Amino acid sequence: MSAAAASAAGAAPVFSVRNLWKVFGPHAERVPGGELAELGPEALREEAGCTVAVRDVSFDVRQGEVFVVMGLSGSGKSTLVRCLTRLIEPTSGTIAIDGEDVCGMDKGALRELRRHRAAMVFQHFGLLPHRTVLDNVAYGLEIQGVGKAERREKAREMVEKVGLAGLEDRRPGQLSGGQQQRVGLARALAADPEVLLFDEPFSALDPLIRRDMQEEVDRLHREEGRTMVFITHDLSEALRIGDRIALMRDGRVVQCGTPEEIVGSPADDYVRDFVRDVPREQVLTVRRAMRPAAAGEADTGEALPPTTTVADAIGTVVRTGTPARVVDGGRCIGVVDHRGLLGVVAGLDGDGKAAA
Amino acid sequence: MSTATSPARPASTAKAKAPAAGSAATGPAARPAADAAPADMPPAPTAGAGPLRALWARPAARKLLVLAAAAAVLVPLAATAWGSGTWPHALTVDLTGPLGRANDWIIDNRDHHWIFLYFFGHISGAIIGAVHAVYTVLLALGWAGVTVGAGLLAWRVAGVRVAVTTLASFAVCGLLGMWVPTMRTLALMIVAVAASVVVGALLGLAAGLSERTFRALRPVLDTMQALPAFAYLMPVVLVFGIGVAPAVLATVVYAAPPMARLTALGLRATDKGVLEAVESLGATPRQRLLTVRLPLARRELLLGVNQAIMMALSMAVIASVIGADGLGDRVYQALSTVDVGSALAAGIPIVLLAIVLDRTTAAAGDGRASHGPSGRLVWPLVAAATAAAAVAARLLDARNWPGDWTLSIAAPVNDAKDWMVDHLYSGVPGVGGTAEWAAHYTGWILDPLRDGLQGLPWWGALLLVAALAWLIGTWRTALTAVLALAAIGVLGRWEVSMDTLSQVIAAVAVTLVLGFAIAVPAARSPRVDRLLRPVLDVFQTMPQFVYLIPVVALFGIGRAPAAAAAVVYALPAVVRITSQGLRQVNPGAMESARSLGATSGQQLRHVQFPLARPELLLAVNQAVVLVLSVVIIGGLVGGGALGYEVVFGLAQGDLATGLVAGAAIVCLGLTLDRVTQPTKAEKKGAGA
Repeated sequence: MSAAAASAAGAAPVFSVRNLWKVFGPHAERVPGGELAELGPEALREEAGCTVAVRDVSFDVRQGEVFVVMGLSGSGKSTLVRCLTRLIEPTSGTIAIDGEDVCGMDKGALRELRRHRAAMVFQHFGLLPHRTVLDNVAYGLEIQGVGKAERREKAREMVEKVGLAGLEDRRPGQLSGGQQQRVGLARALAADPEVLLFDEPFSALDPLIRRDMQEEVDRLHREEGRTMVFITHDLSEALRIGDRIALMRDGRVVQCGTPEEIVGSPADDYVRDFVRDVPREQVLTVRRAMRPAAAGEADTGEALPPTTTVADAIGTVVRTGTPARVVDGGRCIGVVDHRGLLGVVAGLDGDGKAAA
Repeated sequence: MSTATSPARPASTAKAKAPAAGSAATGPAARPAADAAPADMPPAPTAGAGPLRALWARPAARKLLVLAAAAAVLVPLAATAWGSGTWPHALTVDLTGPLGRANDWIIDNRDHHWIFLYFFGHISGAIIGAVHAVYTVLLALGWAGVTVGAGLLAWRVAGVRVAVTTLASFAVCGLLGMWVPTMRTLALMIVAVAASVVVGALLGLAAGLSERTFRALRPVLDTMQALPAFAYLMPVVLVFGIGVAPAVLATVVYAAPPMARLTALGLRATDKGVLEAVESLGATPRQRLLTVRLPLARRELLLGVNQAIMMALSMAVIASVIGADGLGDRVYQALSTVDVGSALAAGIPIVLLAIVLDRTTAAAGDGRASHGPSGRLVWPLVAAATAAAAVAARLLDARNWPGDWTLSIAAPVNDAKDWMVDHLYSGVPGVGGTAEWAAHYTGWILDPLRDGLQGLPWWGALLLVAALAWLIGTWRTALTAVLALAAIGVLGRWEVSMDTLSQVIAAVAVTLVLGFAIAVPAARSPRVDRLLRPVLDVFQTMPQFVYLIPVVALFGIGRAPAAAAAVVYALPAVVRITSQGLRQVNPGAMESARSLGATSGQQLRHVQFPLARPELLLAVNQAVVLVLSVVIIGGLVGGGALGYEVVFGLAQGDLATGLVAGAAIVCLGLTLDRVTQPTKAEKKGAGA
């Protein structure tokens, strides 16, 4: 997936969010940018009766990437994703989709945006209990005014795509949680949206089913290259599927970067604490472990691409018994040996210094 | 005046008086209560303040202290100004004069004033036309068409068992010679239910979609559901006179609130997650309503229809006092001559109609579509079969129920009743007789209670109501209760209302004792519950009016039969709510009590009763509301008091008396409901 992101890195952002605020409470609009903005959460609640859910957030979501917003409950991530299609009205700031101002849209334009360009998958599925699986999947097309035969055909295709073929006539109540979320996914896909928004889609599922669903999303992303914004509170989930991760705390984005940057170079103690238990060797790449090649080393030993994880490199080095070369575009950019690799595992690589 | 005794006193009075009262009771300090304790004195740090502080920490005691303080100031003032004893004459407003004049004006102008010609006249005309049209259709279908059509309808909606019940019920209606009255009641019902459902659904829609409308409407609907049916009769009679149109209108006013309420609740209960998901797909508000909110509220909507039908039947029968013909009229006529046999012949079809209508609509609301046959062709087939039956009967010249197929039960029932009068009324060895019981109940319970209530100083009654209502509910409910009670005094119906009140209190006490005695075993033993359930189901569906028939047979005429009918009417609801409340007690709490070795009595006292408190209070509230409604109707069988004044007003054309009594009934209903209304935990809507 990193490859997909890399290829699209130069393209214009799908979502461009600047200085976004969402404040709940009376006279919320006076908080952003004012004196009140400086107050802590408790003080603000006492002073103005307001709660800040999203605090001065800016980021871009690039074409074709999986952008993960991660944070603990109450960090404002679910509010943030709802602001993107104005399911929750932002207090201030700008949101643009393909350069088009979302905040300035009237009701009709907003509906068009929700119908065709950004579809959402919810934690608690939000299925219609009185409709069959097929009619649930077709619902988005139905409210767009698509004819019955056409929308059913399209829905059938989607049901098949998410692996629910044969269950078209069941009702949501008769399905397991994982199956229900597949219906939610199919419903979102049916409208063929430009962006998929996921709001903690797998938090309500059992661990094994969660893994299945993560692979499903991963597969969809690889096959179709669809842009995704993914909300989660689960760090391993974020690291597994995210091309880039924005880590939120108290409504603020504390760090935004690739999984490797988050794990390898935590921006502050909060992030460091957060990623402490992450198996570093599975996230970090050989870039962090390598040293400049000594004389003669540039031509011998196994060649590894720079995106290789440390864990994989350890395997190679142990197997061959010699240091391995890191080769980028036919040029050797460094060498990894026992010492460097173990240093990364032990966390002795230092923050951001090794990536020369 | 009444506001002065309200519990909403400024806090300063409370603070000033409470420590004073406490020190007078506990310590040798400041004797004269009047000049003790400045306004904001904190609880004194003396040893004597300890118990007081402990007392103050309990909300109930605090409320009582505040009330006692307010009373200590206001009661002497009120008593010196207007005296004690019954409601002071100086504080009454005689409304009979103006009301009589209004009534005369309406009668004089009914035929030519524009408001009657162009507004009320059209309403009345439309109702009469609609009822007549439905009646004509029912007659045209003939007994065969109606019976077959109803049977098939029940089959489609509710399955075979209900269909058989329906066929049998209509056959019995015919057999008893009550076919024509049944059809008249049915025609009136159909029109009234249709109107109630439309009106209720529209109101419910408005309240379901708009928070503000909901907040405005809810207390009104709640109150309307707590008022006795009789209270609705007088205003419509004032405007429309006696006849079918006011009967239908009163029925609609009585039956629409549950529909409105359930519609609103159903719409508001839509899963927020589903709504959000649908919005994220770009649905318009209209699409949200039509494809999500209404379908998801289906259960509540159908339950609303069911409730509206049951309320309408209940009221359509009672409305015979204001000119609705049909079964209710037959019962009314028969009861007025104590002809129990004829009353029973008309009462049985009412009960059967109630059961059939309830079972059919309840099954529709069940949500299980697998009851009867389904498929595209079923409805046309039902219609075709109905038409075929109707045509067949017409060809055989049997549109009306054949005369020689009827069975007159009036005479044998009356014989049986006479036998009962001879053998059960008195002198049964050991237990006495029903007439003796009635006499004892009246003489030993009702009379002393009534005399006590009437002898109670008026401010004492207000104070009592305030205390009770505040202890159970909030200061708001207490204020409403006190104001409503005071309004009765102002209307000049104090003594009569105290008579009604005494009947209500006595009957409620009996109901609660019996109800708890039945509910506790039912909650503990599934077998008792299984046995009880069908009985409760049947009793709960019967209109209040029919309960008067058996009690007149057993106890004759007077206040005791009215009380008996009230108890029987209210008992099923009390038993059901109580046993459900007891059974729903958190099994974890019960298990832990058992694991600690609590006896079943201890479990009941320490776990089940405290945890089921909301349900128990609700049972009391329902008992009060239901008993009041029947005690009022008891005016028809010699219950006297407010109910009788309404009946008297109707019978004598003295609408002023009836209207004032009706207003007093409303006030009494309001008082009783608010006094027993437990604080409802307000659910706050989750913002995001």
